[in-house]
Amino acid sequence: MKTINSIIAIFQREFKITYRNFSDILSIFLFFLMGVMIFVFSIGANDDIFNQIGIGIIWTLILLTNNLTLRKFYQDDFNDGSLVIFHLSGLSYELIVLIKIIVNWLVIQIPFFILIPISGFLLNIEFFNIKIIFISFLLGSPITTCITSISGAMNLLNKKNFAIGSLIIMILSIPVIIFSVGLINTSEESMGAQINILMGIMFLFLAITPWVCSICIKLAIQEK
Amino acid sequence: MLLANNIVFNRGNKKILNKISLTLSPKKIIHVTGNNGTGKTTLLKILTNVLEPNEGEVFWDGKNIKKYPFIFYKDLTYIMDKTSSNANLTVYENIYFWIKLFSSSRSIKEIESILDLLSLYQHKKSLVSSLSYGEIKKLELARLIIEQKKVWVLDEPYIGLDQISTNLINETIIYHAKLGGMVIFTSHITADIPNLEILQLEKYENN
Repeated sequence: MKTINSIIAIFQREFKITYRNFSDILSIFLFFLMGVMIFVFSIGANDDIFNQIGIGIIWTLILLTNNLTLRKFYQDDFNDGSLVIFHLSGLSYELIVLIKIIVNWLVIQIPFFILIPISGFLLNIEFFNIKIIFISFLLGSPITTCITSISGAMNLLNKKNFAIGSLIIMILSIPVIIFSVGLINTSEESMGAQINILMGIMFLFLAITPWVCSICIKLAIQEK
Repeated sequence: MLLANNIVFNRGNKKILNKISLTLSPKKIIHVTGNNGTGKTTLLKILTNVLEPNEGEVFWDGKNIKKYPFIFYKDLTYIMDKTSSNANLTVYENIYFWIKLFSSSRSIKEIESILDLLSLYQHKKSLVSSLSYGEIKKLELARLIIEQKKVWVLDEPYIGLDQISTNLINETIIYHAKLGGMVIFTSHITADIPNLEILQLEKYENN
Protein backbone atom coordinates (compact mmCIF):
# COMPACT_ATOMS: atom_id res chain seq x y z
CA MET A 1 0.00 0.00 0.00
CA LYS A 2 2.88 2.33 0.90
CA THR A 3 4.53 1.68 -2.47
CA ILE A 4 1.28 2.42 -4.30
CA ASN A 5 0.90 5.68 -2.35
CA SER A 6 4.45 6.67 -3.31
CA ILE A 7 3.82 5.85 -6.98
CA ILE A 8 0.56 7.87 -7.01
CA ALA A 9 2.37 10.76 -5.29
CA ILE A 10 5.07 10.85 -7.97
CA PHE A 11 2.48 10.69 -10.77
CA GLN A 12 0.53 13.61 -9.25
CA ARG A 13 3.74 15.62 -8.77
CA GLU A 14 4.86 15.04 -12.35
CA PHE A 15 1.50 16.08 -13.79
CA LYS A 16 1.41 19.20 -11.63
CA ILE A 17 4.91 20.21 -12.72
CA THR A 18 3.96 19.59 -16.35
CA TYR A 19 0.83 21.71 -15.93
CA ARG A 20 2.92 24.55 -14.40
CA ASN A 21 5.37 24.33 -17.31
CA PHE A 22 2.63 24.04 -19.91
CA SER A 23 4.27 26.68 -22.12
CA ASP A 24 7.30 24.37 -22.51
CA ILE A 25 5.08 21.54 -23.71
CA LEU A 26 3.17 23.88 -26.01
CA SER A 27 6.41 25.09 -27.62
CA ILE A 28 7.39 21.47 -28.30
CA PHE A 29 4.14 20.83 -30.16
CA LEU A 30 4.39 24.15 -32.01
CA PHE A 31 7.89 23.11 -33.06
CA PHE A 32 6.37 19.94 -34.57
CA LEU A 33 3.62 21.81 -36.42
CA MET A 34 6.03 24.50 -37.65
CA GLY A 35 8.31 21.72 -38.91
CA VAL A 36 5.41 20.29 -40.94
CA MET A 37 4.65 23.76 -42.33
CA ILE A 38 8.28 24.25 -43.37
CA PHE A 39 8.16 20.96 -45.31
CA VAL A 40 4.94 22.12 -47.02
CA PHE A 41 6.52 25.43 -48.00
CA SER A 42 9.82 23.92 -49.11
CA ILE A 43 8.44 21.02 -51.17
CA GLY A 44 5.32 22.77 -52.50
CA ALA A 45 1.81 21.46 -53.08
CA ASN A 46 2.37 17.99 -54.46
CA ASP A 47 -0.06 15.40 -53.08
CA ASP A 48 1.77 12.43 -54.58
CA ILE A 49 5.08 13.33 -52.97
CA PHE A 50 3.48 13.91 -49.55
CA ASN A 51 1.59 10.62 -49.75
CA GLN A 52 4.93 8.94 -50.42
CA ILE A 53 7.14 10.75 -47.92
CA GLY A 54 4.54 12.16 -45.48
CA ILE A 55 5.03 9.38 -42.92
CA GLY A 56 8.79 9.93 -43.11
CA ILE A 57 8.37 13.67 -42.52
CA ILE A 58 6.09 13.07 -39.54
CA TRP A 59 8.38 10.45 -37.98
CA THR A 60 11.48 12.63 -38.48
CA LEU A 61 9.75 15.54 -36.76
CA ILE A 62 8.56 13.27 -33.91
CA LEU A 63 12.16 12.23 -33.33
CA LEU A 64 13.39 15.84 -33.37
CA THR A 65 10.60 16.77 -30.96
CA ASN A 66 11.69 13.95 -28.63
CA ASN A 67 15.17 15.45 -28.70
CA LEU A 68 13.74 18.63 -27.22
CA THR A 69 12.35 16.74 -24.23
CA LEU A 70 15.62 14.92 -23.57
CA ARG A 71 17.03 17.19 -20.88
CA LYS A 72 13.71 17.32 -19.04
CA PHE A 73 13.58 13.57 -18.53
CA TYR A 74 15.85 13.15 -15.47
CA GLN A 75 18.11 16.20 -15.28
CA ASP A 76 15.98 18.42 -13.01
CA ASP A 77 15.16 15.61 -10.57
CA PHE A 78 18.80 14.54 -10.59
CA ASN A 79 20.13 18.05 -9.93
CA ASP A 80 17.87 18.77 -6.94
CA GLY A 81 18.24 15.29 -5.44
CA SER A 82 14.59 14.30 -5.98
CA LEU A 83 15.63 11.00 -7.57
CA VAL A 84 17.42 10.08 -4.34
CA ILE A 85 14.40 11.14 -2.25
CA PHE A 86 12.08 9.00 -4.43
CA HIS A 87 14.45 6.07 -3.87
CA LEU A 88 14.63 6.65 -0.10
CA SER A 89 10.84 6.46 -0.01
CA GLY A 90 11.21 2.77 -0.84
CA LEU A 91 11.02 2.73 -4.63
CA SER A 92 13.71 1.06 -6.70
CA TYR A 93 15.37 3.13 -9.40
CA GLU A 94 13.90 0.74 -12.00
CA LEU A 95 10.38 1.53 -10.80
CA ILE A 96 11.12 5.28 -10.75
CA VAL A 97 12.33 5.03 -14.38
CA LEU A 98 9.15 3.16 -15.35
CA ILE A 99 7.00 5.89 -13.76
CA LYS A 100 8.97 8.56 -15.61
CA ILE A 101 8.51 6.70 -18.91
CA ILE A 102 4.74 6.40 -18.42
CA VAL A 103 4.41 10.08 -17.47
CA ASN A 104 6.53 11.18 -20.41
CA TRP A 105 4.54 9.00 -22.81
CA LEU A 106 1.24 10.39 -21.53
CA VAL A 107 2.38 14.02 -21.57
CA ILE A 108 4.55 14.16 -24.69
CA GLN A 109 3.29 11.37 -26.95
CA ILE A 110 -0.48 11.30 -26.40
CA PRO A 111 -0.99 14.82 -27.86
CA PHE A 112 0.52 13.52 -31.11
CA PHE A 113 -2.67 11.53 -31.65
CA ILE A 114 -4.26 14.94 -32.28
CA LEU A 115 -1.24 16.49 -34.00
CA ILE A 116 -0.78 13.64 -36.49
CA PRO A 117 -4.23 14.08 -38.15
CA ILE A 118 -3.62 17.87 -38.23
CA SER A 119 -0.24 17.39 -39.90
CA GLY A 120 -1.83 14.79 -42.21
CA PHE A 121 -4.36 17.43 -43.23
CA LEU A 122 -1.58 20.02 -43.78
CA LEU A 123 0.39 17.57 -45.91
CA ASN A 124 -2.80 16.43 -47.67
CA ILE A 125 -2.09 12.76 -46.90
CA GLU A 126 -4.77 10.20 -47.78
CA PHE A 127 -6.97 8.91 -44.95
CA PHE A 128 -5.69 5.33 -45.34
CA ASN A 129 -2.09 6.50 -44.97
CA ILE A 130 -2.98 8.53 -41.85
CA LYS A 131 -4.43 5.32 -40.39
CA ILE A 132 -1.09 3.58 -41.03
CA ILE A 133 0.82 6.46 -39.40
CA PHE A 134 -1.47 6.06 -36.39
CA ILE A 135 -0.70 2.33 -36.10
CA SER A 136 3.03 2.90 -36.49
CA PHE A 137 2.93 5.72 -33.92
CA LEU A 138 0.96 3.62 -31.45
CA LEU A 139 3.75 1.02 -31.49
CA GLY A 140 6.63 3.38 -32.16
CA SER A 141 5.93 6.06 -29.55
CA PRO A 142 6.65 3.84 -26.50
CA ILE A 143 9.92 2.90 -28.22
CA THR A 144 10.93 6.54 -28.79
CA THR A 145 9.99 7.36 -25.18
CA CYS A 146 12.23 4.51 -23.98
CA ILE A 147 15.05 5.69 -26.25
CA THR A 148 14.69 9.26 -24.93
CA SER A 149 14.75 7.84 -21.40
CA ILE A 150 17.97 5.89 -22.07
CA SER A 151 19.55 8.91 -23.69
CA GLY A 152 18.41 11.20 -20.85
CA ALA A 153 19.85 8.81 -18.23
CA MET A 154 23.13 8.49 -20.16
CA ASN A 155 23.32 12.28 -20.34
CA LEU A 156 23.50 12.38 -16.53
CA LEU A 157 26.90 10.75 -16.83
CA ASN A 158 28.03 13.24 -19.40
CA LYS A 159 28.71 16.71 -18.04
CA LYS A 160 30.26 18.26 -21.13
CA ASN A 161 28.86 17.08 -24.45
CA PHE A 162 25.06 17.29 -24.41
CA ALA A 163 24.77 16.81 -28.18
CA ILE A 164 25.76 13.19 -27.70
CA GLY A 165 22.34 12.51 -26.10
CA SER A 166 20.59 13.63 -29.29
CA LEU A 167 22.98 11.50 -31.28
CA ILE A 168 22.07 8.43 -29.19
CA ILE A 169 18.37 9.06 -29.88
CA MET A 170 19.03 9.28 -33.62
CA ILE A 171 21.11 6.10 -33.72
CA LEU A 172 18.75 3.99 -31.58
CA SER A 173 15.74 5.24 -33.56
CA ILE A 174 16.95 3.89 -36.90
CA PRO A 175 15.14 0.50 -36.57
CA VAL A 176 11.92 2.25 -35.47
CA ILE A 177 12.08 4.61 -38.45
CA ILE A 178 12.80 1.77 -40.88
CA PHE A 179 9.87 -0.38 -39.77
CA SER A 180 7.43 2.50 -39.11
CA VAL A 181 8.02 4.28 -42.40
CA GLY A 182 8.26 0.94 -44.20
CA LEU A 183 4.63 0.21 -43.28
CA ILE A 184 3.36 2.66 -45.89
CA ASN A 185 5.18 1.05 -48.81
CA THR A 186 4.66 -2.54 -47.83
CA SER A 187 2.08 -4.95 -49.27
CA GLU A 188 -0.98 -5.88 -47.21
CA GLU A 189 0.38 -9.43 -46.69
CA SER A 190 3.66 -8.34 -45.18
CA MET A 191 2.13 -5.53 -43.10
CA GLY A 192 1.36 -7.96 -40.27
CA ALA A 193 4.98 -9.08 -40.14
CA GLN A 194 6.22 -5.47 -40.02
CA ILE A 195 3.79 -4.69 -37.18
CA ASN A 196 5.00 -7.78 -35.31
CA ILE A 197 8.61 -6.64 -35.67
CA LEU A 198 7.67 -3.18 -34.32
CA MET A 199 5.87 -4.85 -31.40
CA GLY A 200 8.95 -6.95 -30.74
CA ILE A 201 11.17 -3.86 -30.66
CA MET A 202 8.65 -2.17 -28.35
CA PHE A 203 8.64 -5.05 -25.85
CA LEU A 204 12.43 -5.32 -26.00
CA PHE A 205 12.84 -1.62 -25.14
CA LEU A 206 10.16 -1.75 -22.43
CA ALA A 207 12.03 -4.67 -20.87
CA ILE A 208 15.56 -3.26 -20.97
CA THR A 209 15.01 0.48 -20.47
CA PRO A 210 14.30 0.46 -16.68
CA TRP A 211 17.47 -1.59 -16.01
CA VAL A 212 19.71 0.40 -18.36
CA CYS A 213 18.45 3.75 -17.04
CA SER A 214 18.69 2.73 -13.38
CA ILE A 215 22.33 1.67 -13.87
CA CYS A 216 23.09 5.04 -15.50
CA ILE A 217 21.33 6.94 -12.68
CA LYS A 218 23.18 4.97 -9.97
CA LEU A 219 26.50 5.58 -11.73
CA ALA A 220 25.72 9.29 -12.14
CA ILE A 221 24.93 9.57 -8.41
CA GLN A 222 28.23 7.82 -7.58
CA GLU A 223 30.14 10.11 -9.92
CA LYS A 224 28.63 13.31 -8.59
CA MET B 1 21.76 1.19 15.81
CA LEU B 2 23.75 2.48 12.81
CA LEU B 3 27.27 1.14 12.59
CA ALA B 4 29.94 2.20 10.10
CA ASN B 5 33.02 0.03 9.99
CA ASN B 6 36.38 1.21 8.54
CA ILE B 7 34.95 3.31 5.75
CA VAL B 8 37.43 4.19 3.01
CA PHE B 9 36.48 6.33 0.05
CA ASN B 10 38.72 7.43 -2.80
CA ARG B 11 37.94 9.86 -5.57
CA GLY B 12 40.43 9.12 -8.31
CA ASN B 13 43.82 8.93 -6.61
CA LYS B 14 42.75 11.12 -3.73
CA LYS B 15 41.78 9.47 -0.45
CA ILE B 16 38.70 11.32 0.83
CA LEU B 17 37.79 9.11 3.81
CA ASN B 18 40.36 6.99 5.61
CA LYS B 19 39.07 4.17 7.82
CA ILE B 20 36.24 6.00 9.49
CA SER B 21 34.24 4.02 12.04
CA LEU B 22 31.28 5.27 14.03
CA THR B 23 28.35 4.02 16.03
CA LEU B 24 25.07 5.90 16.13
CA SER B 25 22.92 4.46 18.88
CA PRO B 26 19.52 5.65 20.20
CA LYS B 27 19.54 9.06 21.95
CA LYS B 28 22.92 9.87 20.39
CA ILE B 29 23.72 13.01 18.37
CA ILE B 30 26.93 13.14 16.32
CA HIS B 31 28.32 16.35 14.86
CA VAL B 32 30.69 15.68 11.96
CA THR B 33 33.22 18.49 11.61
CA GLY B 34 36.00 19.18 9.16
CA ASN B 35 37.31 21.72 6.71
CA ASN B 36 36.04 21.94 3.15
CA GLY B 37 36.94 18.85 1.17
CA THR B 38 37.51 16.57 4.16
CA GLY B 39 34.59 14.37 3.13
CA LYS B 40 31.72 15.36 5.43
CA THR B 41 29.04 15.16 2.73
CA THR B 42 30.67 12.03 1.28
CA LEU B 43 30.50 10.33 4.68
CA LEU B 44 26.80 11.13 5.02
CA LYS B 45 26.16 9.85 1.51
CA ILE B 46 27.89 6.58 2.40
CA LEU B 47 25.91 6.30 5.64
CA THR B 48 22.68 6.69 3.66
CA ASN B 49 23.73 4.21 0.95
CA VAL B 50 23.69 6.93 -1.71
CA LEU B 51 27.42 6.37 -2.29
CA GLU B 52 29.27 3.09 -2.16
CA PRO B 53 32.54 3.09 -0.16
CA ASN B 54 35.72 1.57 -1.61
CA GLU B 55 36.21 -0.33 1.63
CA GLY B 56 34.17 -0.88 4.76
CA GLU B 57 30.51 -1.54 5.45
CA VAL B 58 27.54 0.14 7.07
CA PHE B 59 25.04 -1.81 9.16
CA TRP B 60 21.58 -0.89 10.37
CA ASP B 61 20.33 -3.08 13.22
CA GLY B 62 22.90 -5.71 12.27
CA LYS B 63 21.93 -5.77 8.59
CA ASN B 64 24.22 -4.52 5.84
CA ILE B 65 22.48 -1.48 4.29
CA LYS B 66 23.82 -2.36 0.84
CA LYS B 67 22.10 -5.75 0.94
CA TYR B 68 18.94 -4.58 2.71
CA PRO B 69 18.58 -0.91 1.71
CA PHE B 70 14.80 -0.68 2.00
CA ILE B 71 14.78 -1.97 5.61
CA PHE B 72 17.12 0.91 6.46
CA TYR B 73 15.19 3.49 4.40
CA LYS B 74 12.08 2.79 6.49
CA ASP B 75 13.91 4.38 9.43
CA LEU B 76 15.93 7.04 7.61
CA THR B 77 15.38 10.70 6.86
CA TYR B 78 18.17 12.26 4.84
CA ILE B 79 18.34 16.02 4.40
CA MET B 80 20.82 16.68 1.64
CA ASP B 81 23.08 19.65 1.03
CA LYS B 82 20.66 20.65 -1.72
CA THR B 83 16.95 21.28 -1.48
CA SER B 84 14.70 18.65 -2.99
CA SER B 85 11.51 20.74 -2.98
CA ASN B 86 10.32 21.52 -6.48
CA ALA B 87 10.47 25.18 -7.44
CA ASN B 88 7.41 24.89 -9.69
CA LEU B 89 5.17 23.68 -6.88
CA THR B 90 3.82 25.65 -3.93
CA VAL B 91 4.99 25.11 -0.34
CA TYR B 92 1.80 23.22 0.44
CA GLU B 93 2.02 21.07 -2.72
CA ASN B 94 5.58 20.03 -1.83
CA ILE B 95 4.51 19.12 1.70
CA TYR B 96 1.47 17.23 0.45
CA PHE B 97 3.77 15.34 -1.95
CA TRP B 98 6.15 14.33 0.85
CA ILE B 99 3.25 13.24 3.07
CA LYS B 100 1.97 10.93 0.32
CA LEU B 101 5.43 9.79 -0.80
CA PHE B 102 6.42 8.69 2.69
CA SER B 103 2.87 7.64 3.71
CA SER B 104 3.10 9.98 6.68
CA SER B 105 0.36 9.91 9.29
CA ARG B 106 0.69 13.66 9.94
CA SER B 107 -2.62 15.50 9.73
CA ILE B 108 -3.18 18.76 7.86
CA LYS B 109 -3.52 20.56 11.20
CA GLU B 110 -0.15 19.28 12.40
CA ILE B 111 1.46 20.31 9.12
CA GLU B 112 -0.06 23.77 9.35
CA SER B 113 1.30 24.20 12.86
CA ILE B 114 4.76 23.13 11.63
CA LEU B 115 4.52 25.69 8.83
CA ASP B 116 3.50 28.28 11.40
CA LEU B 117 6.49 27.41 13.63
CA LEU B 118 8.82 27.74 10.66
CA SER B 119 7.16 31.06 9.65
CA LEU B 120 6.11 29.50 6.36
CA TYR B 121 2.35 29.48 6.93
CA GLN B 122 1.80 32.78 5.12
CA HIS B 123 3.73 31.36 2.14
CA LYS B 124 1.83 28.07 1.96
CA LYS B 125 0.28 28.93 -1.40
CA SER B 126 3.43 30.56 -2.79
CA LEU B 127 5.59 28.84 -5.36
CA VAL B 128 8.88 27.63 -3.89
CA SER B 129 10.67 29.61 -6.62
CA SER B 130 9.44 32.81 -4.94
CA LEU B 131 10.92 31.91 -1.50
CA SER B 132 14.30 32.93 -0.12
CA TYR B 133 17.06 30.33 0.33
CA GLY B 134 16.52 30.25 4.10
CA GLU B 135 12.80 29.64 3.65
CA ILE B 136 13.44 26.84 1.15
CA LYS B 137 15.89 25.27 3.62
CA LYS B 138 13.26 25.45 6.39
CA LEU B 139 10.74 23.80 4.09
CA GLU B 140 13.25 21.01 3.46
CA LEU B 141 13.75 20.55 7.21
CA ALA B 142 9.98 20.13 7.60
CA ARG B 143 10.57 16.67 6.12
CA LEU B 144 12.05 15.65 9.48
CA ILE B 145 8.67 16.11 11.11
CA ILE B 146 6.67 14.76 8.16
CA GLU B 147 8.61 11.51 7.73
CA GLN B 148 8.75 10.59 11.46
CA LYS B 149 11.80 8.32 11.08
CA LYS B 150 14.31 7.15 13.73
CA VAL B 151 17.58 8.15 12.04
CA TRP B 152 18.15 11.72 10.92
CA VAL B 153 21.11 12.38 8.64
CA LEU B 154 21.45 16.09 8.08
CA ASP B 155 23.93 17.74 5.74
CA GLU B 156 24.59 21.35 6.77
CA PRO B 157 21.12 21.90 8.31
CA TYR B 158 21.92 25.42 9.57
CA ILE B 159 22.93 27.01 6.27
CA GLY B 160 20.69 29.97 5.43
CA LEU B 161 18.76 29.83 8.72
CA ASP B 162 18.21 32.80 11.04
CA GLN B 163 18.85 32.52 14.80
CA ILE B 164 15.22 31.68 15.66
CA SER B 165 15.08 28.85 13.13
CA THR B 166 18.52 27.59 14.22
CA ASN B 167 17.30 27.38 17.82
CA LEU B 168 14.14 25.65 16.67
CA ILE B 169 16.14 23.04 14.75
CA ASN B 170 18.39 22.49 17.78
CA GLU B 171 15.34 21.97 20.02
CA THR B 172 13.83 19.59 17.49
CA ILE B 173 17.07 17.56 17.32
CA ILE B 174 17.33 17.40 21.13
CA TYR B 175 13.68 16.37 21.46
CA HIS B 176 14.10 13.69 18.77
CA ALA B 177 17.13 12.23 20.60
CA LYS B 178 15.22 12.32 23.90
CA LEU B 179 12.51 10.17 22.31
CA GLY B 180 15.13 7.58 21.34
CA GLY B 181 16.00 8.91 17.90
CA MET B 182 19.48 9.23 16.43
CA VAL B 183 20.96 12.22 14.65
CA ILE B 184 24.16 12.73 12.69
CA PHE B 185 24.82 16.06 11.06
CA THR B 186 27.57 18.10 9.45
CA SER B 187 28.05 21.78 10.12
CA HIS B 188 30.75 24.41 10.19
CA ILE B 189 29.10 26.16 13.12
CA THR B 190 29.16 24.93 16.71
CA ALA B 191 25.70 23.65 17.52
CA ASP B 192 24.19 24.58 20.88
CA ILE B 193 23.25 21.00 21.73
CA PRO B 194 24.23 19.26 25.00
CA ASN B 195 25.98 15.85 25.05
CA LEU B 196 27.05 16.25 21.47
CA GLU B 197 29.58 13.75 20.17
CA ILE B 198 32.07 15.34 17.79
CA LEU B 199 33.59 13.42 14.90
CA GLN B 200 36.56 15.35 13.53
CA LEU B 201 37.42 14.11 10.05
CA GLU B 202 40.84 15.81 10.04
CA LYS B 203 41.97 13.31 12.68
CA TYR B 204 41.60 10.47 10.20
CA GLU B 205 43.37 12.18 7.31
CA ASN B 206 46.90 10.83 7.87
CA ASN B 207 46.18 7.59 9.71
